[in-house]
Parts: sequence; structure tokens; C-alpha cells
Amino acid sequence: MTDDKLLIEQLSNPKTQRRAFETVVRSYSEQLYWQIRRFVLSHDDANDVLQNAFIKAWQGLSSFHGDSKLLTWLSRIAINESLDFLRRQKNIVSISTDDEEVNVANTLMADDYFDGDETEAQLQQAIAELPEVQRTVFLLRYYDDMKYSDISKMLGTSEGALKASYHIAVKKISEFFKSHD
Amino acid sequence: MNEELYLKSRMGNKNPFSVPEGYFDNFAAEMMRNLPEQPQQSKFVRLRPFMYAAACLVVAILTATIYFFPHDNVEQNIAAVTPTTDTYVEDVADYVMADNIDIYACLASEY
Repeated sequence: MTDDKLLIEQLSNPKTQRRAFETVVRSYSEQLYWQIRRFVLSHDDANDVLQNAFIKAWQGLSSFHGDSKLLTWLSRIAINESLDFLRRQKNIVSISTDDEEVNVANTLMADDYFDGDETEAQLQQAIAELPEVQRTVFLLRYYDDMKYSDISKMLGTSEGALKASYHIAVKKISEFFKSHD
Repeated sequence: MNEELYLKSRMGNKNPFSVPEGYFDNFAAEMMRNLPEQPQQSKFVRLRPFMYAAACLVVAILTATIYFFPHDNVEQNIAAVTPTTDTYVEDVADYVMADNIDIYACLASEY
């Protein structure tokens, strides 16, 4: 029996559930954290979203039947939590700012847990300015090499539309670099 | 795709983000402390077996009611709204101002 199958079996048994879930957290938290962090950018926000994602997974255990890999299921929850967070943040920013442009690059440069230079900060701003679907498919495909079929299930968007969005995103980011060369 | 190759050569997979020291080592313990005692099922999921049983019971009661207590008054209802033959003929005769001779002639005709 594979590790995944054994874990899923233990997760469905109330006696072994909690211990199995701790194994899940230890095994997958780092990978999920970086997926989330690339979306939300700030460490504190990534930590909050990651915890919320695991709580959602814990509460939704009965709905997971092993149809997909455990990591795929967890990633789906983590990405959806990240997108929900960004939508809420966008609403708060649009209400609270008075004609001021929220500058991602400046915020990152002031962040203790951002080690990049100004060009990298501006790159993150260029990614953050992409429309939601383009941003999501770019981050998941470019950094995590996630399959289009998995991204499609996550976003409810067709694979064809995702491929088109990815190509547009790559082109935009390439243009950013070319303009800074 | 040339642009993707260009990006990989220019950007690579460099990660400009960092985390506080020991973050990942301590995360699991903190997460398990914050986790609720048991996974919480939605009320709907927990009540599902009872809802199925209730639905079956309702269907069984309705079926039994229809089978054992059919509606006998259907014919009575129809009769109530349909006038009797004699009453009907009298009303028509009054309406057309036909006398008995005309009525007999009509009934005796082939048309």
C-alpha cells in the first residue's frame, strides 16, 4: 500500500485520524506554504492562509474519498484560500485607499522576509497585477509545474483557456524583463 | 515556446522570499494545537440518513393512502357539475322556446 493510500485510510478512521493528520501537516506544509506565499507575498498572511487551509482540510475530511492525490486535494484548498484572501484584501484596499496606489514593490522592499532586489520586487508587482486567472495559472504552472487538468479542476476553467492565459502571462512577464534589460 | 525559455533563463526559479528561523520546524506543533478536537461535519451530512428514512416513510404513507383509500366521490363530483338529461332538455327547450311537438319531431328525426 502506498503512503498516500495508508494515510487516507488512517484519516478515515476516527481513532487514527488526528495522528494521521499531523503526518499530513508535517509532510505537506512547506510545499503548500510556498504555493500560498507566491500569491499573498507576505509571510504573516501566508501563515494565516496556510493555517486556514489546514483547518478547512480537517473539517472537510469526510468529503475526501481518495479520488485525487492527497497533495492535489490540499493544493486545491490552499489555492482557493489564497484567492479568497486576495479578493478580500482587494475589497479592503479599494475601500480604504484615497487616490493612493498600493505599491506591491515598495511593500516588498520594506518586508524583512523579502530578500530580492528592486527588480525582483517589481517582477512580483508585475505578477500581482496580472488578472486572477493569468496570475494563478502562471504561478502554478511556472513554479510548481502543475498539470493544466489539475488547475482546470481548481478554477473551473477549461484547459484551453488556461493554456491561452498562461501564454499571455508569460508574454507579459517577458516584456517586463525586456524593458528592464 | 521561446518566451518561456527566455523567462527560465532570465528568472529561473529563484525564490526571493524567506521565513523566520525554525518556522517550518515549529509549524506542525502549532497547527495541531489550533486544530478543533474533531472534524466537524455539516449538520446536513450528519442528518442525511434520517432524512432518507423520513423521505421513504412519507412516500410509503402516500402510496398506502392512495391504494387503500381511493377517492369514491369522483363520480359524485362529476355528477354534481353535469346536469341530468331531463333537466338539460328542459333548459334547452326553454331557451329555444320549443314546444313539445317540436321536441318530439326533433327527437324522431334522423338528424
